[in-house]
Amino acid sequence: MVDVSQHKLVPEHILLDDPEEIEEVLEEYNVSKTNLPKIRTKDSALPEGAEPGDVVKIVRESRTTDRAVVYRLVIE
Amino acid sequence: MSLNTPKEIGGIQFGLMDPETYRDMSATKVITADTYDDDGYPIDMGLMDPRLGVIDPGLECRTCGQHSGSCNGHFGHIELAAPVIHVGFTKLIRRLLRSTCRECGRIALTAEEKAQFQENLQRAIDLDEDENDVLKAAVRQARKASQCPHCGAKQHDIKHEKPTTYYEVQDVLAGDYSERVAEAMQPDPDDSEDEGTSPQALADETGIELDRINDILSAEFRPTTEARKSLEKALGVDLTEEDMNKLMPSDIRDWFEDIPDEDIEVLGIDPGRSRPEWMILTVLPVPPVTARPSITLDNGQRSEDDLTHKLVDIIRINQRFMENREAGAPQLIIEDLWELLQYHVTTFVDNEISGTPPARHRSGRPLKTLSQRLKGKEGRFRGSLSGKRVNFSARTVISPDPTLSLNEVGVPERVAREMTQTLNVTERNLETAQQYVSNGPEGHPGANYVRRPDGRRLKVTEKNCEELATKIEAGWEVNRHLVDGDIVIFNRQPSLHRMSIMAHEVVVMPYKTFRLNTTVCPPYNADFDGDEMNMHALQNEEARAEARVLMRVQEQILSPRFGENIIGAIQDHISGTYLLTHENPRFTETQALDLLRATSVDELPDPDGEEDGKPFWTGRTVFSELLPDDLTLSFTSSTGDAVTIEDGQLVEGTIDEDAVGAFGGEIVDTITKVYSKTRARVFVNEVASLAMRAIMHFGFSLGIDDESIPDEANEMVDEAITNAHERIQELITTYEADELDSLPGRTVDETLEMKIMQTLGKARDSAGEIAEDHFADDNPAVIMARSGARGSMLNLTQMAGCVGQQAVRGERINRGYEDRTLSHYKPNDLSAEAHGFVENSYRGGLTPREFFFHAMGGREGLVDTAVRTSKSGYLQRRLINALSELEAQYDGTVRDTSDTIVQFEYGEDGTSPVKVSSSEEHGIDVDNIVDRVLESEFENETEKERFLGREEPPTNLSEYAGPGLNKAQGTGVQSDD
Repeated sequence: MVDVSQHKLVPEHILLDDPEEIEEVLEEYNVSKTNLPKIRTKDSALPEGAEPGDVVKIVRESRTTDRAVVYRLVIE
Repeated sequence: MSLNTPKEIGGIQFGLMDPETYRDMSATKVITADTYDDDGYPIDMGLMDPRLGVIDPGLECRTCGQHSGSCNGHFGHIELAAPVIHVGFTKLIRRLLRSTCRECGRIALTAEEKAQFQENLQRAIDLDEDENDVLKAAVRQARKASQCPHCGAKQHDIKHEKPTTYYEVQDVLAGDYSERVAEAMQPDPDDSEDEGTSPQALADETGIELDRINDILSAEFRPTTEARKSLEKALGVDLTEEDMNKLMPSDIRDWFEDIPDEDIEVLGIDPGRSRPEWMILTVLPVPPVTARPSITLDNGQRSEDDLTHKLVDIIRINQRFMENREAGAPQLIIEDLWELLQYHVTTFVDNEISGTPPARHRSGRPLKTLSQRLKGKEGRFRGSLSGKRVNFSARTVISPDPTLSLNEVGVPERVAREMTQTLNVTERNLETAQQYVSNGPEGHPGANYVRRPDGRRLKVTEKNCEELATKIEAGWEVNRHLVDGDIVIFNRQPSLHRMSIMAHEVVVMPYKTFRLNTTVCPPYNADFDGDEMNMHALQNEEARAEARVLMRVQEQILSPRFGENIIGAIQDHISGTYLLTHENPRFTETQALDLLRATSVDELPDPDGEEDGKPFWTGRTVFSELLPDDLTLSFTSSTGDAVTIEDGQLVEGTIDEDAVGAFGGEIVDTITKVYSKTRARVFVNEVASLAMRAIMHFGFSLGIDDESIPDEANEMVDEAITNAHERIQELITTYEADELDSLPGRTVDETLEMKIMQTLGKARDSAGEIAEDHFADDNPAVIMARSGARGSMLNLTQMAGCVGQQAVRGERINRGYEDRTLSHYKPNDLSAEAHGFVENSYRGGLTPREFFFHAMGGREGLVDTAVRTSKSGYLQRRLINALSELEAQYDGTVRDTSDTIVQFEYGEDGTSPVKVSSSEEHGIDVDNIVDRVLESEFENETEKERFLGREEPPTNLSEYAGPGLNKAQGTGVQSDD
């Protein structure tokens, strides 16, 4: 199996395992978890051990800014 | 009027309505199918009962006491003789029948399963996913149960026969059970060892007494279910057949009544608002008369609305049903009538149900019932609510007027007389208002209506205008005609981007067309070959203010699509600035002043020198007069030379499309971003005027002889083409000798085609180059192509050199006859001319065959554009619908209406494309900005102290703003700025 996370087109996916960190993100954007964009568990770009309800931080290169950070909620 | 204050909708709830609520809100019960009596009065308890509202003027509503117009109408009701199914809910009814127990009404799920589905449902709602998926899964699970987990009753499958019939499928003993048993007992003829089964053996095996077996075999006794099963097992036969037990709506209603509240929640129904049995109608609401008005025809006959016709049918059948039932009619007749009632109620709700013949009018036209009123493009939602026909709008042909500012629109006087603006009369504008009224509806600027403080509206006529004018006082309202400086909205379809609708200031003009400055053609994508445009006169102060601040043309100079200007010089403007600046011609004082006559420049700078004892000014100096004094800029023009502007002086370079053109002209773009939109508007206006003067000074025309090249050039072109023909002949010979090497990944045939195409392409290019070399630099077509005003070098080479290969579907022309394109050629002729190579030029003229091939290629282009526009239109509609609710929030995120984040930062960088520098190298010129800010701060420091604080740049002031401009008394048009 190919590990897609090593592909250059796949941006870095970081699992936020610290609840406080998640809380911080939610507070910054003043949203509930369910209002974040979603990502499915079957998505092969997800890091190992991501469960539904987790939040991943995705850092990608952007055409307009060098670095764009987005957060996604893992769903089944 | 307090009635007109906007109200905020707090929320909308959808649910089913309790039949009791129908009865409570009903104004009357409707029992007669008749509408009006012989005197033309509505019949009591008929379909036009005056309690349901009034449509005839003069009559009084018996429910609310109001007259037609102010009474919205009231619902009535029909008591249905028997319950019927509401077609809108057939799927939900099926779902409920399949998932609940026929005996106890509980959902056929265990408590754990129920809890699980309830949780899934909540999660789907939280995550904004489709709840239907969960609900369907729950039904699927419940349907699997063959027994009710609560009461243990056996469950049957439900069959739904569209649209409104439901059956319970039960396995019952087949009618021919004795024959089936007997047959199974016979020995198998193909199997000699099988001796069959004797009745005794069967009795032993099944445990049924021998007598009974014999009774069964003689069809005298129907075996019980248990006996049947053991018989089936012993003999290996199926003794059952499917029996369809029809569920009458009343049965379904009883069934649904048993479903407990807590069980329907799992099925997605809110028990607080809806009960499943309400999906079976026992009472039919009758829409108010105002929703189905009858029309009186010329001959005095009344023509009823389709809905009324349908209601008449329902009441008639309903009555017949009741009469028959009371008379004790046979079940068969009752069932027929029941079905008929169901049909009428079904078509009353929706007349386009598949499997049901639509109810028709006497003329054969299908009736337009409730559903049809709402659905589709012309339905209530898309036709009447999202899209409306509006007052105060005008449409006519557009034509150009270079004397107008780009912010303005020329409005025909006839249109201005029709579109009005409300003028609130005060002590200060009393005289103006009186002037408008005394001018009357025919004179311009006049008035069409006045409104007294008591709310009464009076029409201004030629006869009463003088008298009315004297009566005007403060507090009245005058609907005056449009005058110069009013703001209106202007639009050209298709409205593909936001610049398709912009606000303009009115300039009232004679004749019948809307006049536009030619520089606003690009945003509207307008030309003057018969295009029409729409104008809307704004009707309240908020709208006018918003239009002026946000929608005015000058506010739209920068396009959010690519972040550069979309308004700028086009076509002749560009040719004009090119002529003015390319070779930097010299002008005498008179000439220079004449060039600048239509601009605000009324003083010439110091002359650039003297010639023959007279001072002269160069074209670049003249152009520099339009630039802001401190503008410094350098870029490369589309002509190819370097343009340098220092401190508002064009030092060198040609001003062409890349400098002042629409779609990203550097100077326009920079002025808009660095200075202001008002400065940019002034600049574009003046460039356009100067360019028109310049092009008229030099004269600019194009004729067929401008595209001819000398004979020797023609010979060179011919030679190049002959060369190409020779090379192609070589290629064909190698191919026919099977010696052509194929390119990687292609067949030999494809290789040959490619090589021929390449050779011909080169031939056309070299012909073009030859032609180009022989064009003078002052050739008008060359000027237009170089400056970017219109046309390209390719167009020129096609006119003078060689038109080149015609293509259909990206290949040489291969269609037509068998193995050849035309009957003029031999079969399998691979030569250039046989496959659509046009070696002549447009000027030289095409041969008939070339002309035909050219038409083939041309036709494909036309078809392509036609197909593309419709395809992209649909694509755009879908995109708009998908993205319309996304909104950039104050915290910088982009969210949809459910607050789900789509982008964490708008565009990932949080910047608007129109606020960003368009130059690649230096995104932000910090030094320049600091300098400018410091300078302006210094100036303000002394002024600020004396004057009151901050002063906004007057971006949104009318071009007509200023004292002493009273249009009503007929001050003429002021020059721009």
